[in-house]
Amino acid sequence: MTTSAPEPLLTLSDVNTFYGQAQVHFDLSITVARGHIVCLLGGNASGKSTTMKIILGLVKPRSGDVTFDGASLIDLTTPQIVRRGIASVPEARRLFADMSVRENILMGAFVRNDRDAVAQDLDKMLTLFPKLGQRLSQRAGSLSGGEQQMVAMARALMSRPRMIVMDEPTMGLSPLYVDRVLELIRTINQEGVSVFMVEQNASLALEIAHEAYVLQTGKIVLSGPARALKDDPRVRDAYLGGSEAA
Amino acid sequence: MMSSWLDYTINGLIVGNVYALVAVGLALIFGVSRLINFAQGSIYLVGAYIGWVAVVQLHTPLPLTIIIVAAASALVGLIIERFGLRPLQNSVRIAPLLATIGISFVLDQLVMLTFSPNPRALPSQLPDVRFQVGGGTIGPLDLLIAGVGLTSALLLFVFLRYSKLGWAIRATAQDRDAAMQMGVDVNRVNQAVFGIAAALGGVSGLLVGMYYNQIDTAMSLQATLKGVVAEVVGGAGNVPGAVIGSLLLGLVESYGVAVFGTSYRNLFAFLLLVVVLVLRPNGLFASARQAPPEPLTGTFIAPSRPVRIPRWALLVAAAIFAILPFFPVSFYVLQTLINAWLLGMLALSLTLVAGTIGQVSLGHAALLAIGAYTSALLSLTFAIPVGLAIIGGGLMSAALGTALISPSFRLRGHYVSIATLAIGEIVSLVILNWESVTRGPIGISGIPPLSLFGYELVSPTSIYWFSFIVMVVLALLQARLLGSHLGRSFRAIRDDDIAARAYGLSLNRYKSLAFIFGGFAAGISGGIAAHLYSYINHETFNTQQSILALTVVILGGLGNVVGAIVGAVALVGLPEVFRIAAEYRILIYGIVLLLLVRFRPQGLLGTM
Repeated sequence: MTTSAPEPLLTLSDVNTFYGQAQVHFDLSITVARGHIVCLLGGNASGKSTTMKIILGLVKPRSGDVTFDGASLIDLTTPQIVRRGIASVPEARRLFADMSVRENILMGAFVRNDRDAVAQDLDKMLTLFPKLGQRLSQRAGSLSGGEQQMVAMARALMSRPRMIVMDEPTMGLSPLYVDRVLELIRTINQEGVSVFMVEQNASLALEIAHEAYVLQTGKIVLSGPARALKDDPRVRDAYLGGSEAA
Repeated sequence: MMSSWLDYTINGLIVGNVYALVAVGLALIFGVSRLINFAQGSIYLVGAYIGWVAVVQLHTPLPLTIIIVAAASALVGLIIERFGLRPLQNSVRIAPLLATIGISFVLDQLVMLTFSPNPRALPSQLPDVRFQVGGGTIGPLDLLIAGVGLTSALLLFVFLRYSKLGWAIRATAQDRDAAMQMGVDVNRVNQAVFGIAAALGGVSGLLVGMYYNQIDTAMSLQATLKGVVAEVVGGAGNVPGAVIGSLLLGLVESYGVAVFGTSYRNLFAFLLLVVVLVLRPNGLFASARQAPPEPLTGTFIAPSRPVRIPRWALLVAAAIFAILPFFPVSFYVLQTLINAWLLGMLALSLTLVAGTIGQVSLGHAALLAIGAYTSALLSLTFAIPVGLAIIGGGLMSAALGTALISPSFRLRGHYVSIATLAIGEIVSLVILNWESVTRGPIGISGIPPLSLFGYELVSPTSIYWFSFIVMVVLALLQARLLGSHLGRSFRAIRDDDIAARAYGLSLNRYKSLAFIFGGFAAGISGGIAAHLYSYINHETFNTQQSILALTVVILGGLGNVVGAIVGAVALVGLPEVFRIAAEYRILIYGIVLLLLVRFRPQGLLGTM
């Protein structure tokens, strides 16, 4: 795995998506290399969240292809895609509010049948997210936003995914939790999980990403190594202009 | 007297247990798919008849009977889910609701055609002894029902809490998309839920049949209604709430019967429902933070572009129908068309209320009943000329109908349908029980025939013209209304009531206006019908008619004036043209509804 150009794990090629008459994506092409963090930047209504839905099979494109580990996902249902090794941290967490924290985390292992290993993984999550230990039997809906984000990440990891897709993981969190979440994403990635994240908070996302894409009204307008984009004046103007970061 | 109170309590709890078996199924289904399954009572009916076949024809022992009923009912549930509802997953939200109504008509009619509508005895196979408990008595069947209720509740609890599929069901109920992203196959969850709900419902039907030692096809609608009441009282989608709501309902009914008599049983059930809907629409046990389980904005009705019919074509069609009696057409054809015009008036009313302003009423026949009784009593008791009496019926329907529905103006979506269904039942039960005015179960006979300015309209031709002209006038008024600013406000409220409110529209005022206009049209139709039939009672205008009207309106296209009339002519006329026997008609209405929902939800002429 030490080749200079890592092989792609996930690719979207020439994806065109429509909601009724309205076109959301125009020939969208994105590659996530194995072991990388890739970040999709864009403003409101640029088609970011729909990109997540396309990867997860919640929305199907009119044309184009999505492949994961060399195999097309186009004809698969969401549960089938999850079983291929893609986990998700949905926008606004989307925990099962009336289930306990423990049940929420274990729901992440729904596709697994190795009970003992699942129990071990649960313990591992509690070392990774020590705060959740005291909260296990609490209703998930009663946690703070930051704690809920931890549960959502633990839940995603429980399926032992090869890739996690995250929709705005820092949205609505306090600055303290924003740093913590970014750190955790890095940790998860270092353990070999590829990450595809959608973010509005460009400067933070570019801190941790390997590559980034900038989406504008359904078209990729810029892409490249995160470091390069960070200094790109066009990104600066569009996203880093104000001091709204963090 | 003290001792019998205990008996009434035991009876209430036993009946409550039976309701719980139905209501828990409804709650599971509502939880997972936000759908009120109006076919639940039909499965209960099917369960009872399967039980009858097993007990009376196959002589199976009781435990085996229960297993057979549970398994066969579950199979029916699975078939309904797979072929009736799964194809509708991506359609408008009203589609599955309408589909379950269609399915229930089809199932009920199939049972009726197979077993005849006559009641049958369903022996319980248990020894007929009663034990003294305190001051009351309890029999083996009571214990069986309590045992089945408790065992099912316990099994369900363990299943939901500890099995993988149970977790999947709970997760799906809380967040469908998120559950899918955990790898939950939502179709399997739906399947499981329908299977469980149907098994419970079927067993419930079996037990009720044994309890009263009688089954008949009228059980179905009653069971659906009671189950819905219990479920909504407990909080839609809340499984433990459904159990408590059921026991509460059983007790309320039992005590109500103890104090007021048997004919009041259902009245209490529906009053309880309306009170809960108005005061605590999320049920007695919902927490305050809970969001209303309905979409806030309207995707409830299939949007479409209505078919434009040129004015000259409408004029030609009206002219043909107007001069029809001059041609040698049979009395039979005129009679059929008179029925179509009367149904057309009801459909105009419903298409305005359900289609234009988006309040899908399932109790519209109550407006007919109010109009009919008012007109009949005015002409009989006060000797008011029939023409005026009919107008009085229309006005009374407009006023009373609007007053009755107004507490539910704050409800949305499915809840409006439930509330209107309940109000429809309440009207019919009040007619049944208010003997001093309505003559109760005897009904009103000797209603004077139609007359206008002193001339009796007795020939079919004159009745035909009279009803046709009245309908056309109402249709023109309504078309005028829809084109006005008021019509646009109605549609704005239907499409997005929050946005409409943000623009300063008072929802209550506009809903009232729609119900006043709609109530008037329906009341006129009921009034004319009363003088045509010369005899009416509390069952003349029943839920079947409400559903028929809804089918007409959907067939024509919701909100579509011309569509309502075309739908009425089609649904009244076509069965006559093809000489379909009466007992098959309702079956056909059910099938028409199912096909429409599946293949042309916008109706023939499109929604407006």
